[in-house]
Amino acid sequence: MINRRNILHGLAAGVSSAFLPNFASAAPSIKSGGGPKRVIFFMQNQGFDPRTCIPAGMKNSGSLAGIKLPEPISALEPFKERLQIINGLHGKHTSPSHSAFFGALGGYRGSDGVRPSASTIDYELSKVLPETLLPHLCVGMDSMENMKGKPTVANLSASGAGQPIFMHSNPNHLYEMLYGGISQGDIRSQHEARSGMFDRIEEMAAARGKTLPTADKQRFSQYVQGFNDINGLRGRLGKVSDHLRKFAPKVDDRYTNPEFETDWHDVNLDLGISALKSGITNVLTIGSGRGEIFGAWKGLGVEKQGHNLGHIDQPDNPIWIKIRQYNSRMLVKLMEELESVPEGSGTMMDKTLIVYTSNNADKQHTNGANWPVMLLGNCDGIFKSGCLTQLDGKRPINALYATILETVGVNSGRFNMSEQMAAKFDSGTGSLKEILA
Amino acid sequence: MKRLTRVLTVAVLAGLGAASLSADTYTPGEPVRGKFENLAKEFLDYHCFDCHDGETQKGDLNLLDLGPVDETNAAVWKSVWAQVSLQEMPPKKKDRPEVIKRLRFADWIVSELQRVMEDKGGFHAHLDPKKGNFLDHNLLFGPLPDGIKLAPASSPARIWRVTPQEHITRLNELINTEPQFDPKKPGLRTRGDVVPTNHGGELKLYFGTDRIIKWQGGTVAYATSVKSIPVVLSSARKHGFENYPDFYTVNSAEATQILSKAEDILRYMAYGPLSIAKPEQITDDPKTYAPEGDLRGLPTAITYSTKIVRPMTPVHELMKNPGVTDKGLRAAVDYLFEALTFRPPGKTESDDYLDIVKDSIDKVGKENGVFLGLSSIFLDRDALFRPELVETSKPDKDGRVMLQDWELGLAVNHALRYLKPDAELRQAIADGRMRTRADVEREVTRMLADDRIRKPRILRFFKDYFDHDLGGYICKDDKALATTGVASRGNSHYRAMFDAAASTDRLIELILEKDKGVLKELLTTQQVVATRADNSYFGRKRTSEERSAAQVAKKKAEAELAKKVAVDLKPIVAELAEIETQLKNLKGDPESRKILKELTDQKKKLVAAKKKIEGNKKGNQNNVNIAVAEAKLTGLKIYSRVSHRSFGNGSMKPERTLVTAPEGQRLGILTHPSWLVSHSDAMDNHAIHRGIWIRERLLGGGIPDVPITVDAMLPDEPQMPLRERMRVTREDYCWTCHKKMDPLGLPFEMYNHAGLFRTTELNEPVDTSGEIIDSGDPQLDGPVKNALEMIQKLSKSKRVEQVFVRHAFRFWMGRNETLNDAPALQDAHKAYRDGGGSMNALIASLVTSEAFLYRTVEE
Repeated sequence: MINRRNILHGLAAGVSSAFLPNFASAAPSIKSGGGPKRVIFFMQNQGFDPRTCIPAGMKNSGSLAGIKLPEPISALEPFKERLQIINGLHGKHTSPSHSAFFGALGGYRGSDGVRPSASTIDYELSKVLPETLLPHLCVGMDSMENMKGKPTVANLSASGAGQPIFMHSNPNHLYEMLYGGISQGDIRSQHEARSGMFDRIEEMAAARGKTLPTADKQRFSQYVQGFNDINGLRGRLGKVSDHLRKFAPKVDDRYTNPEFETDWHDVNLDLGISALKSGITNVLTIGSGRGEIFGAWKGLGVEKQGHNLGHIDQPDNPIWIKIRQYNSRMLVKLMEELESVPEGSGTMMDKTLIVYTSNNADKQHTNGANWPVMLLGNCDGIFKSGCLTQLDGKRPINALYATILETVGVNSGRFNMSEQMAAKFDSGTGSLKEILA
Repeated sequence: MKRLTRVLTVAVLAGLGAASLSADTYTPGEPVRGKFENLAKEFLDYHCFDCHDGETQKGDLNLLDLGPVDETNAAVWKSVWAQVSLQEMPPKKKDRPEVIKRLRFADWIVSELQRVMEDKGGFHAHLDPKKGNFLDHNLLFGPLPDGIKLAPASSPARIWRVTPQEHITRLNELINTEPQFDPKKPGLRTRGDVVPTNHGGELKLYFGTDRIIKWQGGTVAYATSVKSIPVVLSSARKHGFENYPDFYTVNSAEATQILSKAEDILRYMAYGPLSIAKPEQITDDPKTYAPEGDLRGLPTAITYSTKIVRPMTPVHELMKNPGVTDKGLRAAVDYLFEALTFRPPGKTESDDYLDIVKDSIDKVGKENGVFLGLSSIFLDRDALFRPELVETSKPDKDGRVMLQDWELGLAVNHALRYLKPDAELRQAIADGRMRTRADVEREVTRMLADDRIRKPRILRFFKDYFDHDLGGYICKDDKALATTGVASRGNSHYRAMFDAAASTDRLIELILEKDKGVLKELLTTQQVVATRADNSYFGRKRTSEERSAAQVAKKKAEAELAKKVAVDLKPIVAELAEIETQLKNLKGDPESRKILKELTDQKKKLVAAKKKIEGNKKGNQNNVNIAVAEAKLTGLKIYSRVSHRSFGNGSMKPERTLVTAPEGQRLGILTHPSWLVSHSDAMDNHAIHRGIWIRERLLGGGIPDVPITVDAMLPDEPQMPLRERMRVTREDYCWTCHKKMDPLGLPFEMYNHAGLFRTTELNEPVDTSGEIIDSGDPQLDGPVKNALEMIQKLSKSKRVEQVFVRHAFRFWMGRNETLNDAPALQDAHKAYRDGGGSMNALIASLVTSEAFLYRTVEE
């Protein structure tokens, strides 16, 4: 019962929790010491048709042992026992036709031109996972013209309402940001010029803040601190440059003279992987197609590009087989690279979760009734693996995100979904028990 | 017995003589010195414990154990502060503290909370514009009790972050040439107006759209192809005043983005569309650029004309010629500095930036070095904040310093405009004629009188005050939207809402142009600035009987049309058959070539006519909306401001009509769908938000925060009218606050949640009754039949006018009013009234007040 006495009694807890982050971190994790230490979100645009990943004839939940994976994801065959295909989540509330944009990782209404109404799951995870130098890295893959013309777009991730997070698409800029301190040649000159300028700006800003009134000093110091953060990141990365040398990819012609857009896709993936391996980041979001309804993969021999890619029925289509196989090769590379780095009594891959899906549900023109997802990595047995989990279409993608959060110790109940919305869009509460071991 | 003990205790404490709440004079703003034991305990003892002690716990609140303010009881003390300031507690029937005692107690709590929370995030609630009404209205506009001695007014010295709208308008000036003011079409977007939001309600800066002559694809393809950058600075709030200096700073993410966008802007300044397109895309003959393949969504899908339209700047000069000269560099630095900070750089500033640019050029060459180096100016403190620091002058005997020169000029400029000071103001500042109140009056009067000088800040006040521009951001449940009767496919509703926001802005401007009885006009006008969609939104939702009747009528009309079509077709079909026969007969006959040709021509005509008639069969019946009795809005053609083409042919259009609302259904902005939908939610009206709006923005009332343990949700009962679902707020615990809101919001139930007028809700007659309770003006209090009656009453009230003036004060001062501001507020209200309800007079009064002109610097 709500009454004043309860308020007063509960006050000590209530008030102190007002100064902690919104989600209660007191709840125990699902398995003590369990949960992923790093999460990768791979969002392929134009939809993820379930027939391109679910073996033909499989209608219900069941093991994948002894069953051959469909051609588009055949590269994952050797890794089948850590694969869980989840079919039957929905995203009807995200307005996913022609891409849900921020709504895909946010679990809220998206669509073209709609700004993010809250933070997305990848950002939230980056705040909770063990702290790193650069908590969250977003990488975007698109047609060459778009990557050159608009090297940073923001369509998939957000740190809050109206606060989009940009994806990096120019690998030269991204290399400079991560490895400027150990770079060479043109990249090094850029890095030095930029660092020098930032240091001057920070100096000048600090000087202008000295005579401010107290209250304004605090606000202004946040501004100056901002430069500190930027310079600090460079500084901190610089300090670990010897460590980074082991992981930094080699800058080759693909960076400076790409023949195809896939050259940049490949090296952007390398940079993302190196950031994970070196421990610079714990959350990597890859936007293949950058959340829009265009995109190009000419480097795979796919002449068609742009909007029409989303008008092709994906199953058995040679273009989509190529694109999905390319995705799968990237996923394999991610897993193999992480497996090559020892961690604890195993490897980095043991505590890594890869979430593969689309920002456009199952196809470009969709109502979002089915939103297939593949999970790779079972994080020491927390998640089911080696199987298909068929759900009934009544639980939203938000429930998947809430479940992942639970595995890292965050019991937020629902993710970005009010009770009012849940009454219409979620048949259950709590985590998706069906996907947990 | 208990009471006697208390009285004695109080007497003893008072006798101790230490700092007490009832000491002689009270000057607002002076620190209240004293500890809990000798200040607060006495108050609590005398005024609170009777009902809130261990034995009697009214409202289940026991204050007996409440000790000195600390971080664990801060929330309780905050509630106490709210209840006492709002004079909710002690309740009317109990002995109430005198004014000075109450004010001191409230001040003490605030200063204690500030002290205690200093390293825990600080205490800022009293600075929040929503809490501005915690200050008693009657003290501001009525006689002050003896013992209150006001200090001369001023505002604290501060730096004020540039608003997102100002910032993007500043950047827009660098790359786009907006049209000059056209007195024949005053509603069109003009240089100096704020950058409007686009088709999706996003605030974006567009590159080169004024030169696009051709593009591939439709709407989304266009939107993806064009170069645009979103606004970088953020605004944390949606409702109410967004821009108090206390709220904002610039963080590292924003700084990084500003820097990277700066390079894009600089490149465009230098090279125009060449910086975002290939040379072959720039041609006046689109046929010469016809690339193969599907380029939709790519930057290469666009053709730009060759005519240069953007402003030509020293940046362009610098990059036009090979090599670098100090002169060219400095010209670029100085130009950019003034464009971004609105003042010319000092010698050191100019030298510093010149060094940075030269340094960059040394490291990475001219091309990259210039752009990298110049981008640093975008992060200058004064490019992102506006200082009011009065560092160069000595305080007067009251510790105040008057703003001077550039700080004063920019403050006055900022009160009205988003562009840098115009030539006249700039000259006045340079000449030292921006130092006195008379100087300010001169410039403000001049700018207010000239329509060519655009003053988007004034419109901004009304947007923050009414909050009528939020409708497009309210996500509507598909089914719930469909039942309102408006077109609900795709994004059409949201589009209509963004159009409606632009329309309402224009209506406000029209009223401001007349500048008579501004508030009253806004609240009661019958004028509407309308688009075609408004025939629905300003229509009336049909009852279910009417709907059935309309359905029948529609079917009948369709049947009749089908009949008519058949009738019309008959002779044509017959004639066609005849011609066919004739043609067959004449086939092969060389003599009849002429006749053959005539017949074939005639056949062609008849086939075309047949097609046309068959097309008409569909007729207009598909577009007839049976759910709504549409309004027939016709009137004068006017314009409103919309963004550059952002969505191909689907972009926003400026055309509007100025119409009169249908009789007896609407009264002023509060009954327009833009305002109504802005205060609604996914499923229904939000009577509580609407009630809060009326209570705070018109009646000057304050509402304490929702207690943190309350789960503020209405039951999910789709078959119940809203009023019935709101029964949960009428429970005892809730009603003390909700009686301030609900009865003011429920009269708006005469409209559904898309803003359409209705007489039934869920097939029953809709209950639109409400009540004005405890407004502070006894003439206002009483039941009301519906929103129209309520608004009519409110529009006549002097108190409402005064509350409006309080809000204008907050907006233009950038802070909440204190008791020391009472004279300025009264002057401003008088100026407003003397001007016949003139906004210009109100603004001029505020901007020449001491609160605006003077700053206090802390020791």
